[in-house]
Amino acid sequence: MRQLTRWLPEWASPWAVVAFVFGFAVLYSLPLVISFDSYTHGIITQAFVFAAAAMAWNWLGGYVGQISFGHAAMFGVGGFLSARLLLTTSFPFWIAWIVGGLAAASYALLWGHPTLRLRGPYFAIATIGVSEATRLIATYWGDFTGGSSGISLPISEGTAKFSLYWYALYFMAFVVLLSYYLRKSRIGLGLLAIKEDVDAAQDVGVSANYYQDAVLFLSGLVVGVAGGIYASYFVFIEPGDMFGFERSISFLLMGVIGGVGTILGPVLGAFVFVILQEYLIASYPDLYLGLYGTLLIVVILFEPLGLSGLLLRIARLFGYRPRVLDITVGDTKLTAMEEPEAVEPPESDVEPARKEAKA
Amino acid sequence: MEEVVRLGISAVLLAGLYSVMAYGLGLIYGVLRIVNLAHAGVIMAAAYVTWLLHSRLGIDPYLAIPVILVVFFIFGVLLYKGVVRFLPRGAAGGVQSLLLLFGIWLVMRNGAYLLFSGNDRAIRTEYSTHSISIFGTSVAQSRVVVFVIAVLTLAALHLFLTRTYTGKAIRAVAQNPDSGTIVGVNVERFYALTFGIGTSLGGLAGLLLATIFAFNPTSGAVELLKSFVVVVLGGLGSVVGIALGALVLAFAESYAILILPSYLTAAVSFVLLVVVLVLRPGGLFGQRVLA
Amino acid sequence: MKAVLVRKGTILLGMLALLIAACAPTEDAAREAGDEAEVPDEILVGATLPLTGEEADNGLRYQEGYELAFEVANEDGGLEIGGETVPVRLELLDDTTDQATAVNLAERLINRDQVHVMLGTYSTALVEAQSTVAEQNQIPYVNGGGAATAIYDRGYQWIFGALAPVELLATTQMEWIQKEQEAGNVPDPAEIALLWENTSHGEDYRKGVQDFAEQSGGSFEVVVDESFELDSKDFSAVLSKVKSSGADLFLADAHLPDYVTMQRQYVSSDLCHDVITYGARGSEADAAEALGQENVNYILSAVWWNAQLGEQGGQNEQFINAYKERYNTDPEWYQALGYETVRALFTAIEDAGSVEPEPLREALANLEMESILPGGQLSFPEETGYQADYPFVVQQNLPDGSSPIVYPEELATGKAIAPNPNCEG
Repeated sequence: MRQLTRWLPEWASPWAVVAFVFGFAVLYSLPLVISFDSYTHGIITQAFVFAAAAMAWNWLGGYVGQISFGHAAMFGVGGFLSARLLLTTSFPFWIAWIVGGLAAASYALLWGHPTLRLRGPYFAIATIGVSEATRLIATYWGDFTGGSSGISLPISEGTAKFSLYWYALYFMAFVVLLSYYLRKSRIGLGLLAIKEDVDAAQDVGVSANYYQDAVLFLSGLVVGVAGGIYASYFVFIEPGDMFGFERSISFLLMGVIGGVGTILGPVLGAFVFVILQEYLIASYPDLYLGLYGTLLIVVILFEPLGLSGLLLRIARLFGYRPRVLDITVGDTKLTAMEEPEAVEPPESDVEPARKEAKA
Repeated sequence: MEEVVRLGISAVLLAGLYSVMAYGLGLIYGVLRIVNLAHAGVIMAAAYVTWLLHSRLGIDPYLAIPVILVVFFIFGVLLYKGVVRFLPRGAAGGVQSLLLLFGIWLVMRNGAYLLFSGNDRAIRTEYSTHSISIFGTSVAQSRVVVFVIAVLTLAALHLFLTRTYTGKAIRAVAQNPDSGTIVGVNVERFYALTFGIGTSLGGLAGLLLATIFAFNPTSGAVELLKSFVVVVLGGLGSVVGIALGALVLAFAESYAILILPSYLTAAVSFVLLVVVLVLRPGGLFGQRVLA
Repeated sequence: MKAVLVRKGTILLGMLALLIAACAPTEDAAREAGDEAEVPDEILVGATLPLTGEEADNGLRYQEGYELAFEVANEDGGLEIGGETVPVRLELLDDTTDQATAVNLAERLINRDQVHVMLGTYSTALVEAQSTVAEQNQIPYVNGGGAATAIYDRGYQWIFGALAPVELLATTQMEWIQKEQEAGNVPDPAEIALLWENTSHGEDYRKGVQDFAEQSGGSFEVVVDESFELDSKDFSAVLSKVKSSGADLFLADAHLPDYVTMQRQYVSSDLCHDVITYGARGSEADAAEALGQENVNYILSAVWWNAQLGEQGGQNEQFINAYKERYNTDPEWYQALGYETVRALFTAIEDAGSVEPEPLREALANLEMESILPGGQLSFPEETGYQADYPFVVQQNLPDGSSPIVYPEELATGKAIAPNPNCEG
């Protein structure tokens, strides 16, 4: 273990590396060991893609504290551009995905650079406007998106659905690493400073504009690539589905329910989301909005770290005591209203609602 | 030319409705510093309540106004007492209240869907297709009525906030919650009151909307965003500001058809929203809150 | 210090990415060979329909048609294949009007539940998305819910559509208008205000009208050509544009909610045109109730099927009676299309004498079935990408609440009225 530590940059914990390699190996070989039917296989593939997108949403929503209701815009741009490229050029699919992702990231910068100067709710509201305007324009722009008839990719060409599992896994694994890096490296501290107090961050030399733009660019890139993989998986895409408000909300819900600001929470959120969608919602389709709404309310009022927070509590019951830094990082949302020095030890942070009421 | 006049008239009439929607949202923000995304749900729910009153009990939508105002005032107060008061305020905590109220909106949407299905509903009265002539263009009668009610509501609200003790107290709380406490105003009570009034204005907007447009459980979303545009454009300085904001939006939307394909006119309010937010980031809702 | 850290991290990430992107396992594309071509104990048909969500109403209508057809077939013990009578069973799931769900459920039906054949869902976007799964798995997919030509011009070999294209709907309406024009009831040349919903349905309708106008040699000219978003609220601006254009004909293509909303604003803007239509919508009882009968009079609509076709007896009468017996109301075109789609599939299964994909596909491609649809014949011609092709029936609302068929003449049950008498005075 000490050998490993020497090789790693200081932000990387050796245990995390071991866990990552182990998790990756398990997921990589899982379908080869147990042969799923292609339905389950496909559901897991989709969960990987959404997990990546949810983590990317979380960089902005959790690390920087800028809640986006508009990530569907980048999902759509990435999806449609890579679909177009696959149709009109002979690029390998992964180049098409990356080009789509880069285009999505550039688009994110285009609207994000000016709007990221807004804080809190204003940024969130602006993203609703961006994503809805994008959806309308994309639907109207038939030459690019095929209009409301959408685009069908050729079925015989491109990646077989089956092997998409591993591409989606690589993609998710890469995003997990990036998530970890963005949180644990010094960049993470910069982002945290911005989240706590933009002006104070500026004062100590953290360029909020630069950091936020960079995070949005990365976030857009990942969501754009997710859109590309989604297009390859579903073969047919259509603007109403790709750019829809529901799509944006789904990223937000995965992030918030999984655990805003945590590293792996969104992955958990994405898997829960996909499983709910496929199994529970299939039996009670009338209830899905209400279910997500209720989860959102419960999370905000009682467990701001979502499912991650819940797991953490369970872990505490078994005597696990995480390092204080991790908790404060995750809990900044709670303490954002207080003076920075008022950050309390984890145990007292559990019930924000009651605390706020007292205050 | 004729078309320009016709579009202008329809824009003015639309602006009345917009200002009522926006005022409810703006009042709550101005006093509580909370962006009430559940406003969309309130607008939608009020449309359904109006529809129920009309189709089941035969109550004319315009006569149902007092009922709607009271029902949604109570709903707003309960919402405040039950949930909203536990939330942090201001720019940093705003994100939490935003998400929470968004969750409430989702639950309301789902409730409406379970109760009324996803189908569009419309309220049909004997006069709903009547038209009257203004400057030689025929205009739907119900739109004119909606406009008149909106103007009256804004006038009443203005008087309330400037002439009554309660109204003045609300403005005092908005400007400085701490000094309010010092001079003996029970801040919590006025927060609840404001949330109630804002919600009942949303209810009124929903009622008015239901008399001219069809609606379904997803209704309210677009209205919410338009309310933002209006509030951001007009600030909360005065009723006049809101009205001006509403006029700018309504004119931009209506005249857009002269230069844009009809389909893209729906995007005008969204683009305007982003542009306005970016151009007025600091002065948003103004320092002059309810001044 | 910071820069060094960043660079170190980036290099590490890059190396890992390269390492793992090296290759991915692939699957032998061929499906496991099916069972020997023997007769199964039961024929399992998979389908999804939007039973909840936006399209729930129509999905439920299709469900009635599907279930009736299965019931009728099983009354006699099922379908005859290979000299045996085999019962058929429908495995129907709710796709909640969501594309991803429709695709995932089709995957589940085909690969987990091992259905022999798929019936389609309703509405073009869902069919377009879902049919890709059937094509990938090479399972016949028969649908009665996707009309847009975009579904069938992709060169797919396994997708069969029983809804005639919407373009043809527009063409049939235009033919009737042209006939009235020749009789002097509609001005020549006539100017058209064309409003269409921005969906593939609307796009096809627009294309049908435009093509017809172009080929009319100047008898028709499109002067307003605008699209609108599904479930729009306020049409006053676009209607104002229509008013300024002074068009003679008002041709719109809209779904039911938009039809109701637009017609209401149309009436209260004091608009009137010699011919007014909302494409396939117009005769719905819901609309007459929401708008008032006087506000839907003389609206023209063209549909794939109409219960009045039963007046000519034969299969249509049988279907209508069976439907009434089970559901106690008259069927609309949705139920008829659902029913007929299933019947086409059953006929093909019996023709093929098998539920093996390849022979069944052949049988569907060569199907010639006597049908309840206008024209009396149903087939899936290869030239149209296996989309059925038959005339529409044009109907017109009358003040007494009826909507007789006015075109084509051989099916007509009433006399057309043009120009619109509402515009007088």
